[in-house]
Amino acid sequence: MSRLRVEEVARTFPGVRGGPPTVALQPTDIEVADNDFITILGPSGCGKSTLLRIVAGLDRPSSGRVVLDGKPVTGPGRDRGMVFQSYTLFPWLSVADNIAFGPRERGVPKPEQDALVARYVERVGLKGFEHHYPKMLSGGMQQRTALARALANDPAILLLDEPFGALDNQTRALMQELLLGIWEADRKTVLFVTHDIEEAIFMANRVAVMSARPGRIKTDLRIDLPHPRHYTIKTTPEFAAYKARLTDEIREESIRAAAMVP
Amino acid sequence: MFEPLRPIPPGRRTALGVLFFVLFIAAWAGATFGGLVKPLFLADPLKTLNAGISLFAEFGFLGDVAMTIWRVVGGFAIAAVVAVPLGIAMGAFKPVEAFFEPFISFARYLPASAFIPLLILWAGIGEAQKLALIFIGSFFQIVLMVAVTVGATRMDLVEAAYTLGADRTGIVRRVILPGAAPAIAETLRLVLGWAWTYVIVAELIGASSGIGHMIMDSQRLLDTGQMIFGIFVIGVIGLISDFLFKSLNERLFPWNFGR
Ligand SMILES: Nc1ncnc2c1ncn2[C@@H]1O[C@H](COP(=O)(O)OP(=O)(O)OP(=O)(O)O)[C@@H](O)[C@H]1O
Ligand SMILES: [Mg+2]
Repeated sequence: MSRLRVEEVARTFPGVRGGPPTVALQPTDIEVADNDFITILGPSGCGKSTLLRIVAGLDRPSSGRVVLDGKPVTGPGRDRGMVFQSYTLFPWLSVADNIAFGPRERGVPKPEQDALVARYVERVGLKGFEHHYPKMLSGGMQQRTALARALANDPAILLLDEPFGALDNQTRALMQELLLGIWEADRKTVLFVTHDIEEAIFMANRVAVMSARPGRIKTDLRIDLPHPRHYTIKTTPEFAAYKARLTDEIREESIRAAAMVP
Repeated sequence: MFEPLRPIPPGRRTALGVLFFVLFIAAWAGATFGGLVKPLFLADPLKTLNAGISLFAEFGFLGDVAMTIWRVVGGFAIAAVVAVPLGIAMGAFKPVEAFFEPFISFARYLPASAFIPLLILWAGIGEAQKLALIFIGSFFQIVLMVAVTVGATRMDLVEAAYTLGADRTGIVRRVILPGAAPAIAETLRLVLGWAWTYVIVAELIGASSGIGHMIMDSQRLLDTGQMIFGIFVIGVIGLISDFLFKSLNERLFPWNFGR
């Protein structure tokens, strides 16, 4: 069953100071089924964030539309939780209050909020840090809190925009396993943007490759690797084959992207 | 020792702060006791201190001080109660800003002191005139500074709140307000300092009580000791209120302080 449909969505940004307009996204289609974990892979500047923001309802497409559970998306809402590329925890709220933000906003009773917080703090391994403010956390901990904050709100679909992009390799690998574990347990529907090929293969059941700017989905690749996945899967020949294939595709696009730098 | 932006221990901080006061008073004592300036123009520290003691003991100066504090706090509070919500509305809602901003920017440059003759005409020389002057002096500044603060709310936090299901009210109450609160408190602290200059001006011109009135009276008697003491008291009150404001802010917004 298809949960989310992106139909011919395109986005052009008006020119800056009389300059030519920027075509960030060419008409793009994606179908996301229930329980899908789709990674969107593409070179920098190809419109990945733009696409995700349109799905989130934070930006409007110039043409085309996004349909979630049969209803066209007209603005942001709690059915599409998002973890951003940058750190967006509320600095004035503790870890616990950040996680409880969504539930509190929709009037969940306090004891249930506390239960949710306890559950997701545990989930993302932040026990003992409930009362810390974001300023006191490392980048990885902040993104884990942001993930918990999105999950605690129980969205129909989870949108992740390079959430681990600013982290070092080891932390990033741990976070990937953490997220994958959560997905394997809860079977959330996930749309995950990244420019890291290994990350894209490791977590996804489908990888959508975007072309260089102006972006569109040029390849949609099924990843038939068994679950639950362990980090050792990254050394298997199957994984290597996917990686070789995607590396080629991305390389082509990166070269095109580099050649057309204005 | 002079590494840029490097914090220093609190003890040394206090010591350095006190040191300047000591040097300042020493220079003052040197200039007056050493006979560099005539006593008519500048009283020496001892004479100033004595003048202060007699002010409190014989002339009921405490009443003047209380009166002045009451005026500042009163006028400032009235201004803040109206200005902060208006500033928030302007910062958060662009049509409101478009409506008020040009006029308030214009009004902000009208020198409050220039209103004194008019205010005396309208409100006499009673309390209303003094409160009105402080109101005029503080109101427009607070509105504009609060509007700028609120307008600078981090858009990414607003977007994050929307994706968590917040509605417009939720955005204002749970993102814009808490995010802007520390800077609004800081604005109030700053403007309260300016309100002090307006109250003294108001009291210099038409008043029968207050620190400014006492300073004016002392001028008639050429008592520089009393004048300096009066100015000194204003400084001390400012220092105390500043300190209170700062520690209140640190208590209210712990997330904004320390790393
Ligand atoms: N608000 C905007 N106004 C004008 N142009 C924009 C705006 N946002 C994005 N763009 C342009 O759209 C293109 C795609 O941007 P986008 O942020 O979607 O890229 P991305 O794929 O997420 O890149 P990265 O991997 O570096 O995050 C870029 O060329 C960018 O300059
Ligand atoms: Mg991006």
